[in-house]
Amino acid sequence: MAHLTHACLLFATLCATTQDLAAQERGRFRRGGQQRPEAPTPEAPKPDAEAPKKPKSYTAIVGGDVYLGTGQRLTGATVLVADDKVDSVGHNLTLPEGTKVIDAKGKVVSPGFTCVMGSGMGAGRNSPFVDSVNPFDPEVKQALAAGITSFLAGNAGSGNTPSGDNAVIKLAWGDVAGMVAVENTVCGMTVPMTLADKEKFAELVKKAKEHRAALDEFTRTKANDANAKPPQAPQGSEKILKVLAGESRLWIQIGGGGGDPFGMGRRGGGRSQGNDVDGIRQALEVAQMLGVGVVLNKPVCAWLVPDEIAATGSLVILSPRDRTPADPTNPDRTGSNIASSAILAEVGVGVAVTCPGGMFGGAGVGTGGILGQDLNTPHIDAAFAVRGGLDNRKALRTLTLDAARAIGIDRRLGSLEPGKDADILILDGDPLHYRTFVETALVNGKVVYEKDKEPFYRHIQR
Amino acid sequence: MNAHLRIALASIIATIAAAQEPAPPKPFEVWRPNRPKTEAEHRIAKWGPRGLPSPGYAFVAAKVLPITAEPIADGVVITRNGLIEAVGPLASTPIPADYQRIDCGDAWICPGFIDLHCHVASESFDLNDTVHPTNPEFRTLDLVTLDHDQINTARAGGITSVLYIPGSGSNMGGFGTLTKTGGNSPDEALIRFPGSLKIAQAGNPERQSGDLGRDMMGMSQGIRLTLLDGKRYHEAHLAFEAGKGPEPKFDPTLELIRGLFRHEYFVSVHTQIYQVVLQTLQQLRLELGLWTVIVHGTFDGYRLSEDMADAGLPVAGGPRQYYFNPRTGEFEGLLSNWSRGGKHGWREPVRGLGMHGIGVNTDSPVVAQEQLPLQAAMAVRLGLPHQWALRGITINAATFAGIEHRVGSLTVGKDADLAIWTGDPLDPRSHVERTVINGVIRYQRNARRPGW
Repeated sequence: MAHLTHACLLFATLCATTQDLAAQERGRFRRGGQQRPEAPTPEAPKPDAEAPKKPKSYTAIVGGDVYLGTGQRLTGATVLVADDKVDSVGHNLTLPEGTKVIDAKGKVVSPGFTCVMGSGMGAGRNSPFVDSVNPFDPEVKQALAAGITSFLAGNAGSGNTPSGDNAVIKLAWGDVAGMVAVENTVCGMTVPMTLADKEKFAELVKKAKEHRAALDEFTRTKANDANAKPPQAPQGSEKILKVLAGESRLWIQIGGGGGDPFGMGRRGGGRSQGNDVDGIRQALEVAQMLGVGVVLNKPVCAWLVPDEIAATGSLVILSPRDRTPADPTNPDRTGSNIASSAILAEVGVGVAVTCPGGMFGGAGVGTGGILGQDLNTPHIDAAFAVRGGLDNRKALRTLTLDAARAIGIDRRLGSLEPGKDADILILDGDPLHYRTFVETALVNGKVVYEKDKEPFYRHIQR
Repeated sequence: MNAHLRIALASIIATIAAAQEPAPPKPFEVWRPNRPKTEAEHRIAKWGPRGLPSPGYAFVAAKVLPITAEPIADGVVITRNGLIEAVGPLASTPIPADYQRIDCGDAWICPGFIDLHCHVASESFDLNDTVHPTNPEFRTLDLVTLDHDQINTARAGGITSVLYIPGSGSNMGGFGTLTKTGGNSPDEALIRFPGSLKIAQAGNPERQSGDLGRDMMGMSQGIRLTLLDGKRYHEAHLAFEAGKGPEPKFDPTLELIRGLFRHEYFVSVHTQIYQVVLQTLQQLRLELGLWTVIVHGTFDGYRLSEDMADAGLPVAGGPRQYYFNPRTGEFEGLLSNWSRGGKHGWREPVRGLGMHGIGVNTDSPVVAQEQLPLQAAMAVRLGLPHQWALRGITINAATFAGIEHRVGSLTVGKDADLAIWTGDPLDPRSHVERTVINGVIRYQRNARRPGW
């Protein structure tokens, strides 16, 4: 059976690489093994009410090595941007008249980095985020210098039922309206739960599913019966309904916490308490109840159960270099592993990376931290995934497409594909090399950062 | 003006100009002129063993980085009994018949890295015992176990030597230990005790400043008085040895300070901003004549780089590898500034410490011990030449600590401490396949569960 499963996964992977990339994403996310849950039907994208407008302006980034963000790379290609969206990527594109050309020969072009957890950088801490963003916060420029074009602000929520208050912020310098992409695409909860809490949660999920069925029924009857009344959503089920509808990602924090930067309990033991394989299995149980893949938030031991995670179609957020030592009494079943990202990617589990937590790390850019530990260098965290064995080409996904998936905005962000937001970096080298700097950053199709024109790093010549 | 006069004037001007022409700066040299010439001449410091039994190995790789010599393509490093027996091109370096040949393919062989600012080489959290404002009676020697999680990981990260020092919670934290990161016992792993005396000039010890004040002047005075007590004790010993005085009564608090004035080991100083670095320079290095190494040197202390170069006072910088200059908005590279000098505020331009005067450190666990090469990488990101950064975690660090005859480069006769890297050791994407300490393979990577 295991062989068969592996063969299936391998076959699925092979198929996926030949499919169109968007389909690959949907396929990967729901691909499963023996415990495949019933997949929710994604809601069909609503067609624009208005007829598609003719773009007002075009920008072409020409001649760079283009990393699409999906794991693919085109050498000497052009990225054509129409207003705020990617129009097309390829060789020998015909550029419309009046296209503004940015020469990227000898440079690397990549999707902007998406950070799954961030703070500051022009964003407020709670909703309504549209009222608290500051598009002129100097940290916006500083984050752009680090390659960050979007991040999740606010809190992902915790507790034994989904909660949270957050927004995907885009670093649209100077443009208030462009800064908040969407609110509450993420909600979060914590495991382990008590038996009573688990029952309560299961009951709520059941009611939510019944409500969805009733809604479907209502949609059908409404056509014939003008007096049909819409069903009332069960109390406390709003977040769950959004998760079931694919409008929100459920993040699950495995109790016990992760790293211990000061190494107080350095010999293991208590450190991984709670954040263990059992915790992950509880989280996957939630995924099965919902029938939707979840996002495991910094699960220390995910590398020990990659197939189980793959089977639920869940994603993983981790900081590859965060370490939790193994319990000395059970070293083969506990503790973190720098190879986690590689082991998870092998079975098709998407991994989004984040920077280390703790006193001197942190989810902001700032000017008082320690370089290499915070969001001033997000690419370093992806680089550490490569150290653990993840393919260098795939590793960029941990900061782009898989990061966008983890915060539920992959329809708009994370790759340079037609129709997606034009959040693009022009870099002076391999995106994951420690010496690489952002030369130009575009958000929503506009140039918002140029290294030569900002003070931060213009004095550094590579 | 006649021609003669004009020529005479011109020659006078030329002479003056020549006289004003600064002599080309000497390469940086650590100030430690009076230190004992050999390990045997150390009276107070205790050196760890060398040449312990280890198998004969020949590590063959596409690239060997001796650090103090040019890189070798297709090279070999031959080790036995704890020492390096040969380093050279494979083609011209014979491998003895009974040695095990270890083919490392495309890998780079680098010397083991050295961190002069480590707080994690014991089992518990022995960082700050702030009993007094100055605590020269404390020492880390008896605490070393090398079983801290970060030390285990450090081996997997190619770090083979650390200076395990007390924290900066008081003005004088105690004496640190220079130790390898692996061995069969702490005694075997020992390089030298004392490695250094940890002094914290300012910027943390304020919390335990007792009755000496909480500002620079008061804290400085506390450090100075304690060191002067030690100096008098040292001089009493000298007098006794010369037959000019009675034998001084043994003083456990001052005994190890005596070794500082014998220049057997150094003071490693937690000191950062300009003003405090100036105190370190004036008080410890110039007034008291101590062999001194700065182990943070962050913020704008680099404005003193020229004075430090003249005084032979090196900087093992970090872990904050940048200085955000509020006047210009630039992220300045800390070690780039220290090493190159430049136009730094009201003292400009100043000479730098050069490639021989800078090191890199982690202050583990502030930055995890195994991330020492990342600290160097960040320094390179902000402008430090790659080769200089590598020196900063190898030969420079060894020289600052006075252990360059044992470690810091792949040189015949030095300890067989090396790591086999899959690529540029500063690139976080590279990893270590094997780490060798004193000729013994202490780490071997398992791809499914690498140590780091």
